[in-house]
Amino acid sequence: MNAQMVRSMISAEFLKLRRRRALFWWSLVLTSGVVIAAYTTMLILHASDAVKYGPAGGLSNYGDLVQALTAFCGVASIMIGATAGGGDLGAGVFRDMASTGRSRFSLFLVRVPGALLLQLPLVLGAFALATIGAFAFAAGTPTPDAGLVVHYGVWLLAGAILDLVLGIALASLIGSRATTVGILLAWEAIAVHILAHLSFLGGVRDVLNSTALDQLRPGGGQEILSMPLAAAVVVLIGWVVVALAAGAWRTHTIDA
Amino acid sequence: MNTSSSPLVVDMRGVTKRFGDRTVLDDVELRVPRGCAFGFLGPNGAGKTTLIRVLLGLLPVSAGEMTLLGHPLPAERSLALARVGAIVEEPRFHPHLTGRENLAAAAAPRGIEAEGRIDAVIARVGLAGRAGDRVGSYSMGMRQRLGIARCLLVDPELLILDEPMNGLDPAGILEMRGLIRDFVDEGRTVLLSSHLLDEVERTCDGVAIIDRGRIVTQGTLAEAVGAGDNAILVGSDDPALAAALLTAHPAVIAVSTGADGSIRVTLTEGASAAVINRALVERGIAVHRLEPDRLSLEERFLELTSRLGAA
Repeated sequence: MNAQMVRSMISAEFLKLRRRRALFWWSLVLTSGVVIAAYTTMLILHASDAVKYGPAGGLSNYGDLVQALTAFCGVASIMIGATAGGGDLGAGVFRDMASTGRSRFSLFLVRVPGALLLQLPLVLGAFALATIGAFAFAAGTPTPDAGLVVHYGVWLLAGAILDLVLGIALASLIGSRATTVGILLAWEAIAVHILAHLSFLGGVRDVLNSTALDQLRPGGGQEILSMPLAAAVVVLIGWVVVALAAGAWRTHTIDA
Repeated sequence: MNTSSSPLVVDMRGVTKRFGDRTVLDDVELRVPRGCAFGFLGPNGAGKTTLIRVLLGLLPVSAGEMTLLGHPLPAERSLALARVGAIVEEPRFHPHLTGRENLAAAAAPRGIEAEGRIDAVIARVGLAGRAGDRVGSYSMGMRQRLGIARCLLVDPELLILDEPMNGLDPAGILEMRGLIRDFVDEGRTVLLSSHLLDEVERTCDGVAIIDRGRIVTQGTLAEAVGAGDNAILVGSDDPALAAALLTAHPAVIAVSTGADGSIRVTLTEGASAAVINRALVERGIAVHRLEPDRLSLEERFLELTSRLGAA
């Protein structure tokens, strides 16, 4: 399989995703839409009562906004990932793809860059809007420096990419988009927070994706559990590797 | 169209497939010659689709050996499948994509040459006017045609079509029949599974019948249909005398008279109708009908699959 074919297969995965209008528009709403809605609200509040409500931009609001954006981008990433992972199976097209004789590993792996092509512009676009707003609407209040912006960007991207990979892998594993979205939202929104607070689990909690990811957050890693940054990176890489391996294994072994 | 040199496009020897304790394919011996339309017949649940899935490498076999276009499977599966177009069960597509986009997505894992054939195959199946519409709005007949177009992306030596007439109206069936014969005329081989016996009889040159996971007969259509007893139907101006005369003839095994006065004569192996004709004419009986009593494919199918008895 040459590079040109790999590019074609990635483009095909991207095509399948970007032509899903509902997925695209909801993902846009959950990324840039959230930023626009947040700034619009803060601008209106500031305009209505400048004493009570500070400027929409600035350092403080920026941190809060990116933190909220991380959650919403996670939802969008899970949706995109689940669609990329379960789309062919759900449509019944996987059988045809498998009967081309092409390696099933390659059929699985091209889903990742194909999904990233849709996800990354949405996430980075939303982050860019949030950052621009932080400066544009600062009204003389302190603004984030370049290092902090990069730090927030890395944290946001790491979480979004991890959620995307988990979505692709789990949907490939169980073959259902809706179930994948449900499971991962329940995991991210409820389960990891409960598990992180169960002190009897001890060091086991260090392998939670949310715990590791929290170490990457600017000023993070202090609230519940603390671990070295390198260990957090290893844990996150472990999640990606294990997820991809599980998805690839299932794609390879599933009866088509 | 470039072709490989193997005289058989499919050669299965002792192929068995089990799901747990259930044997779905049982010691299948199937040989499909190159350059023909080959029908693969069987009642529902006989194992037709499983056999196709095994052939395409979608399911691993439990035992046996097979080659596809001369390539041993599964060792050279990707080489073999590079020249095979297949529709298994019904053609499925992404409903949110247009016909052309679906073909583009299907062409990607098939290679650059496949991408270059998209416009040609759309035109070939008569979908040029609807290729820009979402597949979700297509009729079953249009999906079948788009499925054929997807098969043609690889310029296939072998097309495997699972129940290709399903869901088609009479015009669609006629069109599909024409397409299949055109493919054969181009030197391709078409292996089609069906439970529509009449369709197979009209379309195919060769046939295999599968029942309960076993191939019960295979060969040319004439071989498969005529594999019963050696019988002829005789019409004469004196059926009673003719029947009496033929009963005593050494080349005759059995004689029965039909309600219309025709006589069904079962001959010994190798005996010809000419012997019977001569015997009757020499006794002054005028013969106005003398024809082989061949089973229709349907009768042969029912005979072999024992479905009449089961019903």
